[in-house]
This record gives sequence, C-alpha cells and structure tokens, in this order.
Amino acid sequence: MAIIEVKNLSKTYEYYKKQPGLWASMKGLFHREKLYKEAVKEINFSIEEGELVGFLGPNGAGKTTTLKMLSGILYPTSGEAKVLGHIPWKREPKYQKQFALVMGQKNQLWWDLPAMESFILNKEIYEVSDTDFKKNMDELVELLDIKDILDIQVRKLSLGQRMKCELVAALLHKPKVLFLDEPTIGLDVVAQKNIRDFIKDYNRKNKTTILLTSHYMEDVKELCKRVIIIEEGKIGYDGDLASLIEKYAPYKVLKITFEGEGVKEADISKFGEVHQFTPNSITLRVPREKAKNVARDILSSNLPVDDILIDEVDISDVVRKIFSNGK
Amino acid sequence: MKKYLAVIKTEWQRQMTYRINQFTFRIGNIFEILVQILIWTAIFQKTSNIGGYNYREMITYIIIGWLLSFLMANFGFEDIISNHIQKGELSNFLSKPIDYINYLIFLSIGRASFTIGVALLFNLLLLFFFRNSFIVSKDIFMWLILLAMILVGYFIKLFLSILIGFISFWTVDNAGVFYSINTLAKFLSGNYFPINILPAVFLNFSLALPFIYTFYFPAQLYLGKISIRQGLVGLGLEIVWLAILYFAIRVVWKMGLRKYESVGI
Repeated sequence: MAIIEVKNLSKTYEYYKKQPGLWASMKGLFHREKLYKEAVKEINFSIEEGELVGFLGPNGAGKTTTLKMLSGILYPTSGEAKVLGHIPWKREPKYQKQFALVMGQKNQLWWDLPAMESFILNKEIYEVSDTDFKKNMDELVELLDIKDILDIQVRKLSLGQRMKCELVAALLHKPKVLFLDEPTIGLDVVAQKNIRDFIKDYNRKNKTTILLTSHYMEDVKELCKRVIIIEEGKIGYDGDLASLIEKYAPYKVLKITFEGEGVKEADISKFGEVHQFTPNSITLRVPREKAKNVARDILSSNLPVDDILIDEVDISDVVRKIFSNGK
Repeated sequence: MKKYLAVIKTEWQRQMTYRINQFTFRIGNIFEILVQILIWTAIFQKTSNIGGYNYREMITYIIIGWLLSFLMANFGFEDIISNHIQKGELSNFLSKPIDYINYLIFLSIGRASFTIGVALLFNLLLLFFFRNSFIVSKDIFMWLILLAMILVGYFIKLFLSILIGFISFWTVDNAGVFYSINTLAKFLSGNYFPINILPAVFLNFSLALPFIYTFYFPAQLYLGKISIRQGLVGLGLEIVWLAILYFAIRVVWKMGLRKYESVGI
C-alpha cells in the first residue's frame, strides 16, 4: 500500500498586479487587477513505505507548495492527497503525530532558548512518553554529535548546528513520514555531508518514508534512488535516478589525460564532441553505445595517452538540461 | 493539557531571558500613569469637582484603573499573531498536533503572568507614594465581583487581540490598523479619563461594547459609583461578550486558514 498518494493535486495562488511607479500605485488603491499563479498543476504520484524520494525542480516549480499541502499547511485548489490514509489538510492530530516537516530556511526551534527547551516542548506537543523521549534523544544526540550544544541559546548556534537540532526536534516523535525541504541549504560541504549521512542512516534504520527537496545534486545522488522532477507545476519525470541519466543523457563522458606536450584540439575532435579542452586533459562526449569503441580507438591511436576514464554524465548536468528544456 | 502547560513553562523561561526589556517597559508604564496623575492634579488646583469626581476619586480611578488594566493586559499580543502569519511561522503550528488558538491562550497566560507580576510590583510602589490620595474599598462583594471581572476581562482583551491579529491573514502591514483600533479601544474603555464626564450618549454607546468592562466599569465599581447589582449585570454582559468573541475567533480562524499562504520561502 502506498504511504503517500497524490491525485490531480493543484494549487493556485491569487495575487495582484502592481505596475511600477507612484501613479500606478495610486491607481492601485482603487482598482487592482487580480492574477492567478498556478503553482502546482494536476500532479500525480505515489510513494511506498520506506522510500527515500528526491523531489527536484527549479525555484518556483511547486516543490515547497506540494510539501506544504502534504503537511496540511495549505489547502489545495483541487485534487486529492492521502498520507498514511489521512487527508493532510484535515489536520487530524492522529496524522500530525506521524509525520514531520523540516524546512531548511525556517526554524521551529525557540530562538531565545537552548534547543533542549524546544525538544521538551515538542515532547509534550507530540505526547511522547518519558522513556521514549530519553531513548530517541540519546540516539539522535549520539548520531548527530550535538551533546555539547544542547544548552546553548539557539540564536547563538551556527547554521549547521541549528539544522542538526531542527532534525532532532522533528524526529523525536519517530515520524513515519518525513518531509525535508532543502535540509542542507546554506551549509558548508562538511556539514552537508554530515546531514546527508544522517538522513541516509536514519532512513535505512527506521524505514522512514522520506520526501526530500534539494538543489544540491550531491544530496540527490547520495540519497535518492528515485526522483520526481517537477517543472512549472507539472511532473516532468518520475522514476529511477539511474534511468533518468540514460533517458536524458544518451552519451557518456570520456576523460582523457595526455603525457608530455599533449594534443591539439583538431586531433581529438574527430573522436567525439569535445567538452573541455586543455592540451593535457580533455573531456569528450560520445554516444552511449559507442563509448567503448571510441576509447579503444583513442588508446590504439598514436596520441600520447596517459589515462582514460569512461564515466556517466554528471547528474547535475542532466537535471540542468531538463530544466532548461522546459523554458 | 500537559502540552499547554509546557507552553507556559517555556514562555516563562523566554521572558526571564529578557528581563531588562521587562524592566524598561514597566518604567515607561509608570511614566504614563504619572503623567495622567499630574494632569488631573493640575486641573484640580482650580476646582474641586469635575463631572462628579473629587480629586481623591480621580486619582483612585487612575491608579485602580491602571492596576486593573495591567491585570488584564496581554501586551501587544496581536503583533505576535501577526508575525506568525506574515512570516509563515504559523506553519510550525499547523503541521503539529497542537491547536493554535489554545496555544495562543496559554502562551498569553505564560507571558502575562510573568509580566503582571513585575507590573504589580511597580504599581504597588506607586500606590505607596499616593497612599493619601487613594481610596481603599472594604466591600467584600465588590472585591468578589471585581476579581471575576478581571478574569473575564483578561480573556475579553485577549480574544480581541487575537481577532485583531487575525486581520493579518488578509492584509500585510497592519501596524496602523492595530494602532488605531487600540487607541479607540483605550478611549472607549475609559483609560484616558472616566467616560461619564462626556455626554451620556458616549457612556450608553460604550456600555453595549466589551471595552468598557476592562477599565471604566470595574474602576467605577471599586469607587462605589456603581452598585453591586449593576456590577453583576455588567459581569453578565461581559460573559456574553466573551462567548461572542470566542465564537468569532473560531469562525475568523477558519476563514483565515483558507487565505493563508505560508509565505516566506
């Protein structure tokens, strides 16, 4: 049975047109033109228990809006959704106790108090028993290595430390479903990796169903087997990350380094599309099925090859390509 | 229930973090009261009776009135709600198993109980300085009704603030609206001066509204200018208003959520 089921879900925002300038503002006092923005248009998908799905798309594509509808924060304009058998926007406490939403750009922790106080408040809000609280707390504190910062005012924490605390606050009640909206935004590479590793571990151990949005392809590559790509409110792709690459990138990349003087671009361009060129190292794009042959040809030519590597196209390039096609 | 008590506890801790802010606010309050006392003292140099009040009654009206309004104050609660809505922090509550309106009620109790303690301390100090001009009431029934009025009045003021705060679901920048409504409410409650020194139409109009029961009415009761019987009628009206406001909050909340866009990302 699917844990998350979304059917023809749409959300339209209303807003008013505002022409630039003072005169237009004055006219706007009496007459305003109402406009509509369809943030999410009739999307459909379903997610099974324990899946960790990446929800990708450019800014303003409708990712966060979808997560907010699934969290019951926003009412949809039309369509249906069920998470754990509940309609999210009915906001039944029974449902609310089983999921959590973490937004990388917002905090739910009490800014003026040490994180521990927010955890205690969340314990009461989610009606977590003392024993469970202690057990979950110990586990999370250990996993995220935040023992030393529990008693420091949240406002004085670094972004990375704060994000770890946000995750603890969200996971104390052991949610079955977790919505992560850009959990690694603004973090340095080390902190990003820590959070990423934690999410991966947590998903594996607890079988938590996770829907994650991120603009960092590293996150997606590391964490998600399946991705859903949303562009301008519509789903553009839903499936394996691996087949996404095959479908949208019908070629592979050859990275070749040369010894000594190197090569001239003219000598190498007959083998395929040159992507990056310096005399000593080049990147070549060749059709997927020809990759092996081309590599062999290059090796058996009289070019001063030092090393050759056949690689998949970078996922971020693929996603970038998909996004720019939509425009 | 336990979760809401935790809200109070957390708020107390937050308040204690910012004790200087608390302290300075109360000093400002004292100035406001002193200014009123000074004005009336100056006026009473020329005359001994204004609109049926002698000097001691007027000073008592001001001090007891302020005391009452501190006990019922929620200290700009509409701003907190407005912030939650405008900055999208409301989302934190909507996605959790907690009722936002109940949360607000308990938050305000946590917030006010701490502040009221500090404010009372300052007021007692003021009372001490003006003890010769202050009339002390010994009527036990009056005190009972007064206590009930304070309790109901606290929630009336709170519900009004919540209702005003919910305006933020529809419009963005509300400081002006809040300011105007609060000033009008302050006037109608008799906070600036006893409302019966104006033509009777003002008093009659005010009696039909909830504001007056948070300042003028209990202060008059204290001064013995309103009988116990009238006091009970007033208390009854106050409770009716409380019910109306609570109902209004629930309705407006439902409507507001439909408008809520959870902005900020």
